[in-house]
Amino acid sequence: MALPQRKTDIGPPHYKQFLPPVIQKNYGKWKYHEVIDPGLMVHVAESGDKLWTVRVASPRILATDTIREHCDIAEKYCGGFFRYTTRNNVEFLVSDEKQVEPLKKDLAKRGFKMGGIGAGISNVVHTQGWVHCHSACTDASGLVKAMMDELMPYFESKRLPSKVRLAVACCVNMCGAVHCSDIAVVAVHTKVPVIKHEDFKNMCELPTVIGSCPTRAISPDPANKSVKINAEKCMYCGNCFTVCPPISIKDPDRDGIAIVVGGKVSSLRTSPKFSKLVIPYISNEPPRWPKAVAAIKHIVEVYAKHARKHERIGEWIDRIGWERFFSLTGIDFTFQCIDDFTFMRDTMRTSATFKW
Amino acid sequence: MEMTELQNKIFAFCEAAKGKKKLKEKDIINGVNAESGVDKDEVKKALREMINVGRLMYSYGGGASSVEIPSEEYLREKGLIK
Amino acid sequence: MKKYDTPLIDELEKGPWPSFVTEMKRAAKNNEMANDALGHLEKCYKTRVGYWKHGGIVGVLGYGGGVIGRYSELGDEFPGVAHFHTVRINQPSGFFYTSAALREICDIWDKYGSGLTNVHGSTGDLVLLGTKTEALEAVFAEYSSRGWDLGGSGSALRTPSCCVGPGRCEWTNYDTLDLSYALTQEFQDEIHRPTFAYKFKIKMSGCACDCVASIARADMSIIGTWKGNIEVNQDEVKNYAKKGMDINAEIVNMCPTQCISYDGKELKINNAECSRCMHCITRMTKALRPTGERGATICIGSKAPIVVGSLLSWVIVPFIKVEPPYTELKDLIRKIWEWWDDNAKPRERIGEVIEMKGMRSFLEAIGQSPIPQQIKEPRKDPFMFYTEGDIAAFKAKEAEEKKTGKFKF
Repeated sequence: MALPQRKTDIGPPHYKQFLPPVIQKNYGKWKYHEVIDPGLMVHVAESGDKLWTVRVASPRILATDTIREHCDIAEKYCGGFFRYTTRNNVEFLVSDEKQVEPLKKDLAKRGFKMGGIGAGISNVVHTQGWVHCHSACTDASGLVKAMMDELMPYFESKRLPSKVRLAVACCVNMCGAVHCSDIAVVAVHTKVPVIKHEDFKNMCELPTVIGSCPTRAISPDPANKSVKINAEKCMYCGNCFTVCPPISIKDPDRDGIAIVVGGKVSSLRTSPKFSKLVIPYISNEPPRWPKAVAAIKHIVEVYAKHARKHERIGEWIDRIGWERFFSLTGIDFTFQCIDDFTFMRDTMRTSATFKW
Repeated sequence: MEMTELQNKIFAFCEAAKGKKKLKEKDIINGVNAESGVDKDEVKKALREMINVGRLMYSYGGGASSVEIPSEEYLREKGLIK
Repeated sequence: MKKYDTPLIDELEKGPWPSFVTEMKRAAKNNEMANDALGHLEKCYKTRVGYWKHGGIVGVLGYGGGVIGRYSELGDEFPGVAHFHTVRINQPSGFFYTSAALREICDIWDKYGSGLTNVHGSTGDLVLLGTKTEALEAVFAEYSSRGWDLGGSGSALRTPSCCVGPGRCEWTNYDTLDLSYALTQEFQDEIHRPTFAYKFKIKMSGCACDCVASIARADMSIIGTWKGNIEVNQDEVKNYAKKGMDINAEIVNMCPTQCISYDGKELKINNAECSRCMHCITRMTKALRPTGERGATICIGSKAPIVVGSLLSWVIVPFIKVEPPYTELKDLIRKIWEWWDDNAKPRERIGEVIEMKGMRSFLEAIGQSPIPQQIKEPRKDPFMFYTEGDIAAFKAKEAEEKKTGKFKF
């Protein structure tokens, strides 16, 4: 069959055609919303109209048949209207209250997990990992699955002092908001890259490779028509590998993961914060990463026990101090936690007041 | 300048850089403008036409995009040569 | 049809959270590419390394983005993933869909690709995972003829994205869905034809809750805010108290500017001192709502750690009106790009260029004056540039003071 005529630069379809009638009618005129349970909320418009949202977990990688199942469900209970969230959940948009309970029953029967709204744990923002990325030093989807199996109660029912946003990045490129998450996993390399000098000349641009290094560890190697890497300066970020394929940094026995905590993106109460390193290295242990999962669960539990209502992890730590965070969690404090990249002068303590 | 002549100049500019420097679209526009004095918007228009018919192509490598002369493989894949 | 034994990743089908392995198997039932993707992934789990090569030169004729080349080093062993390119479909604003639209997307994808997707990718596109080079033109013709275009990739404007905004949120200060659509349409050329030094991301949030993480993940963050007072409905305040909210502990004491007071009956806000952080509003959404002029704060420069450390976006324009046809905002974006283009080396994000060239150069280029709302604190060390013009202006001010007999600092 002949192909249809392509069109260019048309952009996405206009969003209005995808909004259910209740949204069309009350667009921009919402008055308030209430979280009924972690899987259900209702938005009420100035007009008195109501919109119920049932939120469902998704593994982000979806087979087309699963998307079709979402479509089936939406057609049965929502007039075919639904949406996805920035954290990859599915949201069924119900305008008839009578459909809410039957929808929830049907979802439960099909094995979908409802939750993620409010002060708990929602879906995990993550990257492609081994499923589809060249620079991954671990698998992101597998880590997320292993973490969320353990944290499931916080998605479906159990509440926390505030929301806890989780993220997983399969390398330091961080194609997700890992650097500003309450708890995040970032996979790291730990060894100086190896260079295939014979391929360098054909595949790489010298200035680009030298410029790619944040610690200026790379210099020309004229004898090999290539570059050399100063092992004392290299922090294994892998950016040279990104710009130059003959530079290899993968090492299955040495690649691992680090855990960072205390970041946030909202401005509620306190300014947005970066996540900070607390656990510098855990071996990469597919398929279920038991130590990493246990560490994350442990941090969540210590936070749940000690934080005040509405305090995010970073705000709780700001209040109690990092020394107290390390003593409460029992996490070993290591040299990696002291910044020796570029920010040491801003991160060392400059007063003699601290807690024992 | 005639469009064909301008496009030949653009092509020659890209050919000269082949294997030496990855050219961004801006490098070509600024370079050809400096060489020939043709208005930058004109160069851009001519360049875009060349990309649309596969005489040049957008490429990607080392984390950044560039413009280069297509390989035969690319042209075959697009059905532009047999 | 099952083709490979996958004992390691089968472990990831256990447990309550939905399994991506189950999804891959579901796609693999009638798709050889998905089947090989399963075998390929199992091998990664076994050896603990990945086998994807660097992105290659693939795309659709005329475009420089929207398709990410992906090839496996193990193409002989797993021919279904020898080519496994990603296609980015530009999502509709706010990720709203109808079932009819998504069925159409799925049907086309089953015909040409692996049947695997990401809904959605980190930037916001609807991501189709895994197709072959020879299918790309057909994939593009099928989607674009039905109204779906490709998103951005490479050194281009990446697909803009936004929060749910007026579609379903009482807190939004501008129409995020419409602005996202308008900017996407306005800058189609910049999305599809990579002319920048590196990527540029725009994200739009309706309020300081920032549900799309624009402050952390966008070169340009457009965050909704307002200029008027917060209106208090005292009856609803009473209802929150009645339902058990400890208003002093949860609202008054958690206000960062200490501008709220509560005497057990009435909640009062000293609006002049409010920094509009949204805490009280999100906790008492029935009782509190902003009034007055609405718009957005523009921040610039955030990105992940590569190369010299992660950045959060910096405030450059404290307040801008955000109303169709968004001319002021579009002009500002063009000015920002022009300065970036003039000053960036290859692969430099705008935040990095601002650090190199100085915020003054940037602010002057886009026509913004220095004001205290832009900073957390002024510089600490007295190393600074003075232009001839600066000194002349200081001197002129002093001459004026001598005339009037009054100092103006």
